[in-house]
Amino acid sequence: MYKTMLKIAYQSMLERRGRTILLVLMIGLSMGTMVALEGLYDGMTQRMIDKAMRSDSGAISLYAPNYRLKQTIAYRINDADTICQTLRNLPEVDDARYRIRTDGLIQTAKKSRSAILLGINLHDENRFGNFKAFVQSGHLVLGKNDALIGSELAKKLKVAVGSHVTFATQDRHNNLQSISLHITAVVRTSNMVFDARALYVARNTAVALLDTDAHSATQIAISSHHADVQKLKEKIARIYPRLSVHTFTELYPQLKQMQALMSAFNGITFFIVMIVVFIGILGVMYVNILDRIREFGILLSIGYSYRYIRLQTMLESLILGFFGYMLGVLVGWILLGYLHRYGLNLNMFGDAAEFFGMDTVVYAAIKGSYFVYTWMAIMFASVLSIWLPLRNIKKLNPIEVVRSIA
Amino acid sequence: MLKLALKNIRFYKGRSITTFVLTFVAGYFFIVYVAFMDGAHGSMLHNALHVYTGALRIYQKAYRQEGGNDHLINDTATIYRILKTTKGVRTYGARIETYGIASSRKHSAAMMLCGVDFSKEAQLSSLKKAWRAGVYATNGSCLYMGEGLAKRLYVNVGDTIRFSGSAVNDVRVTQHFQVCGIFKTGMYDFDAQSAFMNRRYFDTVFHAKNISTYVVANTVPIGRTKQVAAAVAKKLPQDLEVYTWQTLMKPMVEIMKMDSFFGYISIALFFLVIFFVIMIYGFINVSARIKEFGVLKSIGVSNGTINRLLVYEIVILTAGALLLAALLGGGTAYYFQLHPFVIPGMSDTYKQYGVVSDTLPMLFNPWTIAWNSALLFVLNLLSVVYPMLYVRSFTPVEAMRHV
Repeated sequence: MYKTMLKIAYQSMLERRGRTILLVLMIGLSMGTMVALEGLYDGMTQRMIDKAMRSDSGAISLYAPNYRLKQTIAYRINDADTICQTLRNLPEVDDARYRIRTDGLIQTAKKSRSAILLGINLHDENRFGNFKAFVQSGHLVLGKNDALIGSELAKKLKVAVGSHVTFATQDRHNNLQSISLHITAVVRTSNMVFDARALYVARNTAVALLDTDAHSATQIAISSHHADVQKLKEKIARIYPRLSVHTFTELYPQLKQMQALMSAFNGITFFIVMIVVFIGILGVMYVNILDRIREFGILLSIGYSYRYIRLQTMLESLILGFFGYMLGVLVGWILLGYLHRYGLNLNMFGDAAEFFGMDTVVYAAIKGSYFVYTWMAIMFASVLSIWLPLRNIKKLNPIEVVRSIA
Repeated sequence: MLKLALKNIRFYKGRSITTFVLTFVAGYFFIVYVAFMDGAHGSMLHNALHVYTGALRIYQKAYRQEGGNDHLINDTATIYRILKTTKGVRTYGARIETYGIASSRKHSAAMMLCGVDFSKEAQLSSLKKAWRAGVYATNGSCLYMGEGLAKRLYVNVGDTIRFSGSAVNDVRVTQHFQVCGIFKTGMYDFDAQSAFMNRRYFDTVFHAKNISTYVVANTVPIGRTKQVAAAVAKKLPQDLEVYTWQTLMKPMVEIMKMDSFFGYISIALFFLVIFFVIMIYGFINVSARIKEFGVLKSIGVSNGTINRLLVYEIVILTAGALLLAALLGGGTAYYFQLHPFVIPGMSDTYKQYGVVSDTLPMLFNPWTIAWNSALLFVLNLLSVVYPMLYVRSFTPVEAMRHV
């Protein structure tokens, strides 16, 4: 019985090749493009979030109380190295590192700018966030008077690898100190603030400049792939109640909001496109059924149950939707695969991308959920589209149908 | 054929209504979306440039590339004379900037100290509007300081700071200044490092009489800045160069273009689906009328005439829908241009991206509405190509026998 129904469904689609092909194309191309766009937007925001985490806060950051409000070296964590060691031993924590930070003035012979000095340990930074991947030019070397400079800051000051700069700031005794630094590399973290203002030096250099001790830090950052970061934050806050503990979301609300906005936008686009796809399927199925109203009438008159007719039309609609979905999977997979591997080149917006901390080449993310949700939506649209035409069949009087043929 | 087209539109209601509604929805959505995008972008850019950047700036040629006191403007008076006689220049003024370290009792921070004419700045930038406390037009050794910087230094109106920087002749200058006024523009970085002083006193302390880092001017209307800049450039001495805000704020201009680019890609997806649906409905309609076309062909109606019939049908439906969409969409855009959306807290959340205002107006532009409608018109016309080819593929006898 079901084999017969399947045969009839295929036959019906073959007889109306034109509209079948158009419908399958519509579903396939729209679904494939939508999935590719979703992947691109997700990939873009994911990379921004990933780079912000790797270059700055990690999943969770710890600060001395009042540091975030006052932003001075007076508010620092004194036993940062011990705390980092303890945190690394927690099962939920992948890695931890600490930095010392101060604001000041960077100067060349001809230009000056406000800047941030970050005292780092290169080995820790590479392990924590693959820092070496941020190098744009030069070599990742941090000797006593060496420095790495953010790419936008280097542009503003017209400095390059090999240039010399002076950095002036206030140490922990409120005395003005300055240091002459040699630029060994230009780095681009895609973190807007750091690319525009950061100067990275060896931690010992910063410690000596600021007259603090080598164990102190202004920030401890933790990387973690734990599913519940909020719980981990609470756990750390209980272990270190005297420290101020913040998740990435609390420190970068705009990025999380951007991600939420992107999701909402994708959701709305998806919904609108699916509504239009539903209208397309409805139109084709409606006409397909109307074309065969006599056929259904005769079947009803010879005792064919309405249940089987309903099943028959549903099968046809689902097969159409299925073919459209498969074409969509193919198109989506090709587009996503290309965008995931080669990315979308946005060099024409190069200045903006660099300034606002985005990559000039945007890579798409690939998630199974893209294909799952579209499958559910298309199947739902296919089933819903036959509801209206089935009402016409239900109202059919077999005797009148037979009479009209005669 | 026109009468027949109208008759067919009335007779085949399902197809007509679907095509009309889809075209109307696509047209309205497109017009409103583009109006919102253009309006929001324009508003963000103009708000940002009115904060401090200005419509155009005149620099000494090497200054933006090399910087330093060697490339300052030495004859501001000449530039003033040129700007005074150039059509389209509304206001202008000179600024002299220097960087140094500002220290209070509690803290030190990097500071950009700028000497300005406060009466001109009231028209050139939003410094006066951004006033929060104390006095705007300071005199003598008084500073008008950004709120972010004041917070960093733990100072308030009436407190004193020490500034250590260099004069235009590279001589070290260390001087005490009093904080007499505080401003907040909303531009995070700017408020965190800027302070302003009366030009006359600045010139005395930093030996900068008739010398400027750059001259800034505003144009009217803002849309003609490039033309005004070209006119100014023709009159300027060889060693000077004029930059428009599009160059000065290039990253922000480009990010808006990037946003528009992605916006158009998203909307193209929507149009792709609508195009197919309209084509499918047109095709179904045409295949249901094959016999009718067969009869027409058999009585001598040419393929071209039948094509014309199909084109008339789609043109009537599309034109009607787009006219309504343009009227309603344009009305919506106009209304929200006058009564913009307000998203409280938006400027605070996105301050590092240069967003200074919470308002997002739409932009009512008849030209934009026209090309939006024209694009959809062309798409709808294209949707009837395949049905036309389908009709052509039948001979009159085949068509009349079609089941």
